[in-house]
Amino acid sequence: MNWALLSLALPLLSAFWVLLVRRAVSETILFATLVSLTAALAAFYQVQSDPVQTLLLGDWTLPLAIRFELTSLNALLMVLTATIHFLVGLYNRFSRHGSGRYSDYWPLSAVLHSALVALWLSRDLFNWYVTLELLTLVAVALVTLSGPKAYRAALGYLVLSLIASLFYLLGVALLYGEYGVLDLDRLSALAVDSANTRLALLLMVLGLMLKAALWPLYLWLPDAHANAPTAVSALLSALVVKGPLFILWLTLTQIAPVEFAQQLGLIFALFGSVALLSGAWSALRTPYLKTLVAYSTVAQLGYALITLGLLLRWQTPELATALWLFVIAHALAKVSAFLAAGEMQATFGSKELIAVRGASQSMPLAMFAFAVAGGSLIGLPPSGGFLAKWILLQPLFAEPAHWPWALAILLGTLASAAYVFRVVALAFDRYDVETELPQTDALAQWLSLLPALVVWGLALISQPLMLWLSTGANP
Amino acid sequence: MTEFQLFLGLGLLLFLLGVHGLVLSEHTIRRLIAINVSGGGVFLVMVSLASRGDSVDPVMQALVVTGLVVAVSATAFALRLGSALTRAESSDREGDH
Amino acid sequence: MAVVDWVYDGLLALLVLGLAAGALYSLSLYRAVVFYIALGLVLALVWARLGAPDLALAEAAIGAGLTGVLLLSALKHQPNKARLMGWPWLPGLTGIAILLLLIMMVKAVWGLPQGMAAVGQAALLAVPESGVEHPVTAVLLNFRAWDTLLEVLVVLLALLALRQLTLPDETFPDAWPLLLAWSRLLAPLSLLLGIYLLWRGADAPGGAFQSGALIAAGLLMLRLVGLSPALPWSRFGVRLSILIGPTIFLLAAMATASLGAGWLAFPPDWSKALILLIEVAATTSIAISLALLVGSDSRELNQ
Repeated sequence: MNWALLSLALPLLSAFWVLLVRRAVSETILFATLVSLTAALAAFYQVQSDPVQTLLLGDWTLPLAIRFELTSLNALLMVLTATIHFLVGLYNRFSRHGSGRYSDYWPLSAVLHSALVALWLSRDLFNWYVTLELLTLVAVALVTLSGPKAYRAALGYLVLSLIASLFYLLGVALLYGEYGVLDLDRLSALAVDSANTRLALLLMVLGLMLKAALWPLYLWLPDAHANAPTAVSALLSALVVKGPLFILWLTLTQIAPVEFAQQLGLIFALFGSVALLSGAWSALRTPYLKTLVAYSTVAQLGYALITLGLLLRWQTPELATALWLFVIAHALAKVSAFLAAGEMQATFGSKELIAVRGASQSMPLAMFAFAVAGGSLIGLPPSGGFLAKWILLQPLFAEPAHWPWALAILLGTLASAAYVFRVVALAFDRYDVETELPQTDALAQWLSLLPALVVWGLALISQPLMLWLSTGANP
Repeated sequence: MTEFQLFLGLGLLLFLLGVHGLVLSEHTIRRLIAINVSGGGVFLVMVSLASRGDSVDPVMQALVVTGLVVAVSATAFALRLGSALTRAESSDREGDH
Repeated sequence: MAVVDWVYDGLLALLVLGLAAGALYSLSLYRAVVFYIALGLVLALVWARLGAPDLALAEAAIGAGLTGVLLLSALKHQPNKARLMGWPWLPGLTGIAILLLLIMMVKAVWGLPQGMAAVGQAALLAVPESGVEHPVTAVLLNFRAWDTLLEVLVVLLALLALRQLTLPDETFPDAWPLLLAWSRLLAPLSLLLGIYLLWRGADAPGGAFQSGALIAAGLLMLRLVGLSPALPWSRFGVRLSILIGPTIFLLAAMATASLGAGWLAFPPDWSKALILLIEVAATTSIAISLALLVGSDSRELNQ
């Protein structure tokens, strides 16, 4: 557990340090992120021999203490968080379109890193409220980095997020009023099916769905994610919306009464199916490149929502493997897609999608990265996205009654293929290529390709990966 | 009905009224007031739950102190973001003319 | 319960409701803000009535005081042209929906048990081992210190977020003589009161947040009359005083994790001293951060 704590504390400490001394800002944060990544890997290695480690903060006993829990799932999420922060940090440092070596991107992203790790580790409902608030403020601050044009989106995001936090907090308060505890395991042991419990969970679900931008509460996402600086869009889409999803999954699987969970599950699965199609539809219609990628996040979160819904509906915890594989594959693919899109947008000097016409010639690497990432978003074998979809589809094919869900996922796949090919086809359109090719940045393009390659590489370690996720998901 | 139930109900009502106000308004200051009224309602629910026993539950009180500080920080930032937005948009309009 | 209590509670409840309605539905924005500030003050009374003096202090300083100043100064920058949304049938329709929701929610929570929650009882039992006497301070700085660390971080984050904005100029209006005289008197008083609250927090209501908020209010009053020095982010001392709270807190957590019993597990002999150190550092940071959050001018932070 000490490795995990180190991975949690280091980014935060380095953020304080650079804010104070204002020297070697990007180098310090990148170095701290790298050490934090190493510590996360060490924690992950440790958890192989000791699958569930708990830490009672302050050495108090339950129910008084706040509890941390380290499983192979959240160790893996810590590794993912640190890896993405490191890659995006490198991009932001070395790309010509980064935020600069001394901007507040560095301390802010480091705080974001620590806040996410704190969220993955915690198992306390109120502590989650504070981490959620922290996550919100840091995300909004990062969005405002792109200047006055992002203020409106940032304000909308902040206002909705604040009211969402209050919904969550009221739910936590009502649960506390009934059971007198805040610890997840204690609640799981005590919870019964009462009107108050249902009301509390419903309030929490509404708040968390709004924060995770799950359909139909996603309207703030495209604006906020598309208006942020490129590195920030990548972090927001890949990681920030997954935090509330994690809490949603844990609270509903641990606390919700079975009958209520099944009702919610059906609604989730239906909403997820709609999200797949409506997100893809909006992605197909928008004239802007980054907005297209942002709508793809709405659609992809639909898969997560369907998976969570079916998991609750059929009370099959095994599906959690598929859920977290989706999250990991989507995070990596979305980093690639945003970095590639941002690099193209900056190089061509236009937000419009039409500007990528001919990009397969002028920026082949970035275009390749986008296409490879898109392949995983569609779910082409043998990418990480395919793996997740395969695990989800197996129980769906097994029984004819489940075929409608399989159909919904199939339609979603076709729809995501449509918006990915919308970009790719345009890039291969050689009509009207300028004679003078724009000056491109090879390193930034390589950096955008890297996570996409990792997500395809996931297929190589699919067996151990599924094992890690399943042991972590069902303690 | 007891004292705790009176204030519990009042807290829920404030929460709902705040949400109602938020839905109905477009102005940043009004929306922030609405959010803070909702927040006051949630805190009222929490404190009334804390006051059920013979002495007041210190954990719940501490949670509300935490909640208040979080609320004022977020409100401060949101209001000044609103002012910055107004300024940015008015200077945009001047730029157009 | 005595009839007098009922009357008092009922009046308080009606007052809260009326002020909330005023804050939400007044057509004049200025009036809405004034109603909201009054609501904060009455809520402080409610906390006192429910036996939570810590909260009454925090609410009066933070909820009514700082948020009030914030809203009033935001009013200067955002013109008062907005009305409630146009459709005439909407308020009535949504009003009915609110009423139905309220009935459902109250029905759900009506059966909540009497008596103190398990965690609350555990906390009261553990107070003697915490190093401080006042239960709320024990919860904030020992039992749930991790929450508090993150919360100090939230305040810092709000300030960092503010640093990114291009703000309109914050010019306080010329204060009239009476206000000037009062503020000269009140500002040192609230600074003193803040320090007193911090010192007292170990065994009676008070503590880092309440005192930080009061000191921030004092600094703001000084600023209002033009007596406060500028606190530019570019100055090392200012950054240090803003960062010292979270930094000391985090270092204490890391030290206890690597040398002691575990993350934020204060050794019994040291706990009182450690808590005091953390409280003083956190109060400093909270006071300066809140003062800057509410009243910084456009150039102070963007450097």
